[in-house]
Amino acid sequence: MAATLRLNRAQSAASRRRRINWTPYLFLLLPLALYFVWIIAPTFYTMYLSLTNWNGVDPVPKFVGFANFERLFTKDRTFTEALLNNVRWLVVFITIPTTLGLGLAMIFNNEMRGGRWYKISFYSPLVMSLPVIGLIWGWVYHPRAGLLNGFLQAVGVADPPGWLGDRDLAIWAVIIAAVWRQVGYVMVLYLAGLKNIDPSFVDAARVDGANRWQLFRHVILPLLAPVTTIIVVISIIDSLRAFDLVSIMTRGAQDTQVLANFMYIEAFNNYRMGYGAAIAVVLFAISLVFIGFYLSRVIRDELEY
Amino acid sequence: MSRSKWLIVFLLVGVALLSVASVLAQDNSIAYNSYASDPLPRAFDEKIVAAWNEAHPDMPVQHSIINHEDFKQAIRAYLLAEPAPDVLTWFAGNRARFFIDRGLIMDISNTWEAEGFGDSYAPGFNALATVDDKQYFLPTSYYWWAVYYRPSLFEKAGVEAPPETFDQLLETCDKLNAAGITPFTIGARFRWPAAAWFDYLNMRTNGPQFHVDLMLLKESYLDDRVKATFANWQKLIDRKCFVEDPAALDWQEAVDDMVQERAAMYLMGAFITDSYPDEMEEDLDFFRFPIIDPAIPVGEDAPTDGYFIAAQARNPEGAKAFLAYLGSQEVQQQAFEELGRLPTRTDVDISQAEPATQKGIQLIQSADYIAQFFDRDTTPPMAEVGMDGFMRFWDNPADLDTILQDMENERLRILEEESDQ
Repeated sequence: MAATLRLNRAQSAASRRRRINWTPYLFLLLPLALYFVWIIAPTFYTMYLSLTNWNGVDPVPKFVGFANFERLFTKDRTFTEALLNNVRWLVVFITIPTTLGLGLAMIFNNEMRGGRWYKISFYSPLVMSLPVIGLIWGWVYHPRAGLLNGFLQAVGVADPPGWLGDRDLAIWAVIIAAVWRQVGYVMVLYLAGLKNIDPSFVDAARVDGANRWQLFRHVILPLLAPVTTIIVVISIIDSLRAFDLVSIMTRGAQDTQVLANFMYIEAFNNYRMGYGAAIAVVLFAISLVFIGFYLSRVIRDELEY
Repeated sequence: MSRSKWLIVFLLVGVALLSVASVLAQDNSIAYNSYASDPLPRAFDEKIVAAWNEAHPDMPVQHSIINHEDFKQAIRAYLLAEPAPDVLTWFAGNRARFFIDRGLIMDISNTWEAEGFGDSYAPGFNALATVDDKQYFLPTSYYWWAVYYRPSLFEKAGVEAPPETFDQLLETCDKLNAAGITPFTIGARFRWPAAAWFDYLNMRTNGPQFHVDLMLLKESYLDDRVKATFANWQKLIDRKCFVEDPAALDWQEAVDDMVQERAAMYLMGAFITDSYPDEMEEDLDFFRFPIIDPAIPVGEDAPTDGYFIAAQARNPEGAKAFLAYLGSQEVQQQAFEELGRLPTRTDVDISQAEPATQKGIQLIQSADYIAQFFDRDTTPPMAEVGMDGFMRFWDNPADLDTILQDMENERLRILEEESDQ
């Protein structure tokens, strides 16, 4: 009886050892296969397509070398416009929502009456999908019956702008809608960061006689640095892949084109798959720089701990 | 032990998946993808499918309605899929020809013959269906474009009759402006309504033949005749004929400008009535786009819609039966009575039609040439750059030379790439 038990235990120990060898790979097999089929392979296929002028229908794409890229960078004004708009988006995104979100987090980190309600109301845009936000802001900007112009007319502005129809304002109008959503997101990330700050640091600073600004500037903000890095990188990536709002609100008309929507129009509206793929590759290359930076930061931080 | 358990689970899942697949493969349904996404056409589309499903429970139609814009972008993926959807809605003319030339649309000559469509469809539409003596496309309905206006507002501004010439149109603008009414509204947020202006101004200024050649990229956008078209457009802008921010509104939102008496006219397709309040339609009429040069033939936009079967359809027999139903006199009669779309068959009874419809038919029948529409007559990338150019012109007419140069560059690029292939 005891011998059998011992034997069983030995067996199960042996099989456990054996299982450790192959079980993780077995479990990883399916995700890795899916990852390869859905992410890696299409990425390389897109890179290949960017060197062709495939129209989406012909059986064999024709190889054109770097002609698509050459056209993008030398002749295509829409591409320049889209790139510029992405840069505008990016600059706004890493400044305004970050600052506002941090401010809101500082305010709501204190206990206050109805604080939870305020937090929810700032956070709630994030649970809506971007197309819905695009539709809502499309109505806000409606030149005749919209909330914004209704207000402007009520306070006596005789000739309020057409917002999405106005070439100089349209892209900013779209970006503001995106900022509206992003602020709540940044706020939540900073709130989580603030909760993680050890109160003893704050108490120590208070004991040393730091005023509120010094406390914020020299204690809290440096302690939030890891969160800030993540937020900046997320903001950059979000602004590079901006698509939904532009697609819903203007479809890229009135100088609001961004790279992702431009790629979509070229590939699926104009049926220039090769050219669209080239835009996608450029977007990928730009994103890769920031993602690489982000990953290197994350890995370094992990090594520190 | 554990490995064989895994194996059994794996096998069971596999068998289950296979049996699901074989059930799918055996069923006799017909996949029908439609772009009838606006409310009225959608309701009608659902109704005729429901009628079919009731009559053919053994061969039900799986109906998918896709947003009009999305449909246009997805169609290539549909057609290349295996199996492709069986029956699809699409545009007659160049847009269909592109797929026919690439073997993606099924030859329906035998259905055409069996149903006697050759006799019951008007000759022009037979021609639209046919490539090299074989029929591929089933054109079922078309609609007209015209200048829609509110007679009561004309009256208020002292405009006695709808303008017939360009000069009268400019005078009409002046009178309406003097009465504090915007002459034309336009909802060009998604740009295509602006293309109608180009179509008409170009056809009226230079005649349909030049317009067709331009659409087929045979003429240059730097041609003086194109400049003459824009010069006429400029006159309309200078006389303040248009609403202030044409790009701010969607086409349906711009209809409100007429409903709320802010604007008197709108260059729009007959489908404007779908979005116009029924109780106010008594005060809505239309006239032919004014003539600029009486010496040249008259062209009109009358986009034609219809159906085809994908070459890689899973259920071609079912698809053909359903197509025959869609092209039948009964369905066209219903579409005509309920949607006001003009029938392509000659045996549809139009005697009971409202005067507006009679007038629309008259408008098209008196035209010397029928165009489809800017973004259907020319290639998609050209249409994209063109519509962008029209909107830029609207915002900044002084940029015309750069705009035309951009359009010409795009034309040359397309020609160059086509000759490569």
